[in-house]
Amino acid sequence: MNLEGTFDVRAPRSLVWEKLTDPALMAGCIPGCEEIEQLSATSYRAVVQVKVGPIKARFNLVTEVTREEPPDAVYSATRGEEGTRASVVSADSVVRLAETNPGETSVSYSSEVSVTGRLGKFGLGVMRKKAESLSLEFVENFKKRVEPESAGA
Amino acid sequence: MSRLLHRPGSVDEALALLAERPEARLLAGGATLVAMRNAGLVDASAYVALDGIAELRGIEQLPDGGLRIGAMTRHRETATCGLLRDSLEVVRRAASMIANPVVRNMGTMGGSVANADPGADYPAALVCVDVELELAGTEGRRRVPAAAFVQDWYETALEPGEILTAIFLPPPRTGRSTYRKLARVSGDYAIASCAMALTGGQGDEEIAVAIGGCGPGPLRDVGAEAALRGRLDDPGALAALGEALVALADPIDDVRASADYRLRVIPRLVRATLDDLRSERRAA
Repeated sequence: MNLEGTFDVRAPRSLVWEKLTDPALMAGCIPGCEEIEQLSATSYRAVVQVKVGPIKARFNLVTEVTREEPPDAVYSATRGEEGTRASVVSADSVVRLAETNPGETSVSYSSEVSVTGRLGKFGLGVMRKKAESLSLEFVENFKKRVEPESAGA
Repeated sequence: MSRLLHRPGSVDEALALLAERPEARLLAGGATLVAMRNAGLVDASAYVALDGIAELRGIEQLPDGGLRIGAMTRHRETATCGLLRDSLEVVRRAASMIANPVVRNMGTMGGSVANADPGADYPAALVCVDVELELAGTEGRRRVPAAAFVQDWYETALEPGEILTAIFLPPPRTGRSTYRKLARVSGDYAIASCAMALTGGQGDEEIAVAIGGCGPGPLRDVGAEAALRGRLDDPGALAALGEALVALADPIDDVRASADYRLRVIPRLVRATLDDLRSERRAA
């Protein structure tokens, strides 16, 4: 499924770029993220738990940054699986940053996500709703950490 | 290796077990959870079965005329309970349309409500009759209106470590109520469903309507219902209620039907359910 969205952050583009590429900050923003670790200059490992109804899946993910165009765009490929279980998730994503006004950045993302295995039980409709609410949660967390008023308040 | 299945004898014991083992899952009737476990979808390290707790069983009438349904009451008992009459009849009828006799003998109201499947039958019926759900935690018990219980897809007001213990129904009001379910085959989850109660005298009838299967939780618009009071014979006014419910809907495409189909069917379902109640009254 394709997930797309745009959100505005009250912070300059250079700062948003810096935060988006800060693994420790991202770990606190991604819903269900239990740990995140930088493996190399361009790759990260993360453990993310996703819960839908009685099903809880804990994914071991590896994200590879495939192309960077600072401070405009970052392309990444994420692959992951859930321990010994047959659930597999993959995502090819691009995030673009545009300075709409001085000190304001518009972030747009587009991601082609595929999920197979246990969570597939719920079907694409519910998965999409779930992904949308997780995206909203991420945006809220990210803004809280990056926008000036609340930062360190 | 620690025990897989725990069978506490009281709610307090069950709460203590959950506090010690946050990964444990509550097991009500098992109609859904055991099937999911057998299919390899769920593999909790421990299960806390609630079937040994006496206070969770059965339906009783309260001094004010309202009803208390224990969370572990099986669908079959609810489907045959004579106390569920008039405005509460809709709950009895919804119970009688759940799945098949095997599931109705196993499944419980608390289990179904806590699982919050959008296509399940109880949610719309319970929202239509304004029940309150009692949630027990280590800090005590609290009540949540059914309309505020489902918060997102498969997400409810239950906090980790809490147990849904009882469903409190208001006293029945004189009138009629029913549940109409649109499903691919009898016993399937609903594509969409409509719970409706008609109370009050002729010419001044009050309507309560909740739609199931068209969002994470049931849809209800109390304001639009009030605007329809005494005007149920006005097709335009009835259509306005249908449209108000469509505006609240957030359906998905799934194997049963498309989101678009669900949106189209809501106003028709409201009309058809009202016709059901009307023809029952004429026949009575």
